[in-house]
Order: sequence, then structure tokens, then C-alpha cells
Amino acid sequence: MSTYVLMRILESVPSRYDKGIRILTLGQLDKSYDRLISNINSGQTVLDIGCGTGALTLRAAVKGAKVKGIDVNPYMLEIAQKRASEARLKRNIEFCEMGVAELGNEKPSSYDVVMSGLCFSELSEDELIYTLKETNRVLKPGGLLLVVDEVKPDSALKKIINWTIRTPLVIVAYLLTQTTTHPVTSLQEKIKKSGLLIESMRLNKMENLIELTGRKSQAG
Amino acid sequence: MNLLIYMIFNIAETLLRVFPYPTKTGLIKIGNPDRNSPVCLTSNYHLTVERVKRALKDIDCYLLVANSRGFNVWCGATGGHFTNHDVISVLKTSGIEELVDHRKVVLPQLAATGIDVKTIQKKIGWNIVWGPVYAKDIPGFLKTNFNKTPEMRRVVFGLTDRIEMAVAWAFPISAVSTIILIPFWREAILPLALMTWGLSMLIFISFPLYSHLLRSEGKRIGLILFDFGRGGLRLILWGVFLIGLALYSYTAGDFSWGLMLRWGFASFVVILILGLDLTGSTPVCKSGLHEDRLLKIVLDEERCKGAGFCEQVCPKNCFEVDHVRHLAAMPRAHECVQCGACVVQCPFDALYFKSPKGDIIPPEQIRMFKLNLIGERAVKVKTR
Repeated sequence: MSTYVLMRILESVPSRYDKGIRILTLGQLDKSYDRLISNINSGQTVLDIGCGTGALTLRAAVKGAKVKGIDVNPYMLEIAQKRASEARLKRNIEFCEMGVAELGNEKPSSYDVVMSGLCFSELSEDELIYTLKETNRVLKPGGLLLVVDEVKPDSALKKIINWTIRTPLVIVAYLLTQTTTHPVTSLQEKIKKSGLLIESMRLNKMENLIELTGRKSQAG
Repeated sequence: MNLLIYMIFNIAETLLRVFPYPTKTGLIKIGNPDRNSPVCLTSNYHLTVERVKRALKDIDCYLLVANSRGFNVWCGATGGHFTNHDVISVLKTSGIEELVDHRKVVLPQLAATGIDVKTIQKKIGWNIVWGPVYAKDIPGFLKTNFNKTPEMRRVVFGLTDRIEMAVAWAFPISAVSTIILIPFWREAILPLALMTWGLSMLIFISFPLYSHLLRSEGKRIGLILFDFGRGGLRLILWGVFLIGLALYSYTAGDFSWGLMLRWGFASFVVILILGLDLTGSTPVCKSGLHEDRLLKIVLDEERCKGAGFCEQVCPKNCFEVDHVRHLAAMPRAHECVQCGACVVQCPFDALYFKSPKGDIIPPEQIRMFKLNLIGERAVKVKTR
């Protein structure tokens, strides 16, 4: 019996990932995703880096874009795949089990939009720098980078408030769903270094979630 | 000074050995490496990285630290925390491709349970060489141009390893028992801690004396404790401890049944916890909790072309390859710990697991689904 219970817990980790994220971000994430997706138009080619269970991928496909979702976790992709067929969006979506390190295989200037939700914070420093460099390469001139991710607040007061609110959330989310997230550090500097231009930035009230729009220069 | 810090890390991380401890991933230069220097790769469990760095200190080389989420190489690779993606990632993003002219990376042999040579070669063109099991053998391996002796391939459970394992169990158990006892039975904290450490040392240090009696077959979790074939040893140990306790208290002149009852119960609990997965706490036996322990490796001689990958990655030296007839054989199949490395690595799919019921588990399934904590291959979703 105990074996069975334990199995169920371990087996369903990916499917409860979304629930965990929702607890951690107190439901703000969906709104952020919707806002970012409003930048996407029908017929565009979109790359979703770290698509997970397909939260951003599906939204973009609904708008009529052709989306490629990549992730290293085959179980998450399995769920994403299922959702795509349930929403009858399979025609517009391609899922691939690949990591950011394989972005080198993508053709240059082939995407109108590169987007990523809560994935950059999972990457190591080397990986993030590499990803941004490759993003700049695979985007068409004038193409968009859309990012939603967790960040650390700048002001000391917000840091303390953030820590006090977040710690219990982290514990609850971990206990219920074995999911956790980390903030991404110096994202803006890294984007600038990669040659992409930051177009707009929006922090939530807590200053712990960033929505960022970047653009590749028209000159290419 | 460096040695002192290294020692402190070793002690602290041995005490907390059962927990993962991630460290920074990426490229580390050791000595003055040039464009032809060897490239080694390991997992980002902090103690592993420190030990590998120390073993390599006199060699000019590059060390890549891949993200294994703080797990050690063997557990990480077998449990799906240390995957092809992590190896590819560090090779492509660390900048190593600009620093060396060759495309050869030495991986720890124990990573062979989870890292797929073929996939990595196909995707990014790097060749994987399976290095030795232990970091201390890497210098010899590199100096002899990647010649791996049978001793370098073999996992052992030496005295130092056994003491480390005893400490790794004793410390968390005694720490938790101390916290539990603080509010209502403070006098018992020290004796209980001493007993826990003593029993743990006794169990692990004497391991070679009884290891041949351990059986990996048997019933499922929950029944292990009452299954005499496997739980028996623990009961014997407990009996020995009780007799010792009775004799000691009798000679010390304060024998009482209450004392025997209390300490008899406490020691029983400690032995149960220590023995819960005794075989799984050693690198030389399969975990008693893992379903995979019941599987048998089958060698399909029709498919085998004697490539010898199995011989290179088997941590128990089960294989011998006849290079004249181009055929592998398993003269020491009884030593197998079902790690699955040979199944994952065989380029011709000539090796597979067979369940006690006679079902064949295809190699693809072993490559794709990694073991979870209780030794079942997680998430049986249909493959596309």
C-alpha cells in the first residue's frame, strides 16, 4: 500500500507542475502569459523555449501562430502533446525533446518570435548566455523575444516582504506538488550583452515576476 | 589550508551524504591545459567535484561539471537527474568547443546507466570515452591513453566507503532522535546517539562477513522486515545487542526489565531503520526495495557483435568479450546488480532485461524511463 501511494506521488510530478506554479505565483502567471501573447499575430513562426506542459505554446497556437515547443523533460512534453490534441491545435504545434544547447541546429533568422516562460531561471549562467546568443541568431530581423520569469526584487523592503510571503508558498507548493522555482539573476544585462534590444519591461507589485519584451534590431 | 578546507568539506558532506548538494556547473581549468588536453566531465554533486579536482591536480586538463541537480553520478544517471541533455548542455555552453581541437570527453563509467553515447554523438559530434569508476584512477587512465584495467571498472565497498556509509546513516538518525527526545527524555539522548553510531558502524564495517548471506530476491517492501531470509540478519543483530545490554547492565549492577524494555525497543527501531534498505546502501548489491532486482540480463548471441561496450561499463565485471569470435559472454552473471548500464550502451540492442514472469523489457524502455526512488521506472506513458 505504502509503495502504491509513493508511486502515485512520484509518478504524477509533471502533471502537478502547473498547480505548483500557480501556488507559487499566486495565479499571476496566467495574466502575464496572456499579456505577452497579445504581441503574437496569426501566421507568425514562434519558438517556445522550455515549453513544459505547453502553457505558452497553446496560447500562441490559439492565436494562429505556428509554434515549436522545446523542453528537456519528455514527461512534460507528453502532457503538452495531449493538451494540444485535446484543444485540436496539433496542426500548428510541433513539440521536440531538446535542450537549449541544441538551439545551434535551428536555422538562422527563422522565427518571428522566441518566447520563454519560467525557463531562463532554470538555466545555468552559461546556458542562459548561450540561449540568448542563439535567440539573437534564430530570430528574424525585427523579431521579438518574450520572457516571463521570476526575479529578485531590487529594494531591501520588497526583498524582505517577498521572502516572508514566498517562503510559506515554497513550502506549500513543494509539499503538494514537489515543484519549486528560482529567480533569474541579471537578466537585463545578459539580454543587452547578447545584442538584443529591450523594448519594454513590466514588474508586478511585488517586483518578483518580470514580463520582458526584447527585439532583434532591423539591421539583423 | 586548501587541504584543511577539503577535509572539512569531506567530513560535513559525509555526515549529510544522503542529501543532494549541488554546486556550480560549467568549465574548470586544471593546471595549464592546451588545445590537445583531455576533457573530463562529472556531475555537480559538490563532494564529487572536489574529489575529482583533487585527483586531477597534477594534470593539465579541463573538467566540465554538468548539472545533475546535486546528485552523485551513479544515482543521478540511474534516476534521470543526470541525462544526455545535461551532458550536451555543458559541452555546448561552457565554451569548451573553442578551447580544444579534439571532440573526445571522458565520462565517469557509472554515468553509463543514463547517458546515451549514440545520441550525444549524433546530436553534437562529441565522442564519449568511459573513464574509470573512481576519481583516483583517472590520472592513470589518462596517462596510459585511455587504457582501463578491469580493476578500474569495478565498484568495491572498501573499509573507507563502509565507514562513510555508516556515518551517512548514523548522523541523520541520531540528529532526528535527538530532536524528538529533547522535550521529554533528555538523559537518553547521548546513549541513544552512541548506540545509533555503534550499531551503524557494526553493521557496515562487518558487511563483508555476512554479505554472501544477503539475498536480493524476496518479497516486496513492507514484508522485508518479517521475511526471515532477509530480515533475519537484523533480528540476529538485535539479539546480540540485547544479550550484550543484559550482560552489561547485570555486571554494572543496575539490571531491570524496564531498562531492557526501553533500550530493547529503541535499538529495535534503530536497527529497523538502518536495515530498511541495507543492500541499497551498498554499491555492491541491488537495493532490496527495487523491483529491478528481480530482473535477469539476457544476452542475445545472434545480435552480439562483440563490440565490448558492456565489458567497458559493467561495474561488476560480469562480461568477457572474445575478440576473435566477436562475441560477449557473461561468466560472472551472478554478480549482476541490474544497473542497466550494459543494456543502455549496447549499440546492437543485444542485451535486455527479462522479468521473473518471462517478459522481455526492451532496451529502449530502459534508456527512456529512469528509476525513481523506490526503483520503478516512472511514468509509463506511451512512446510515440
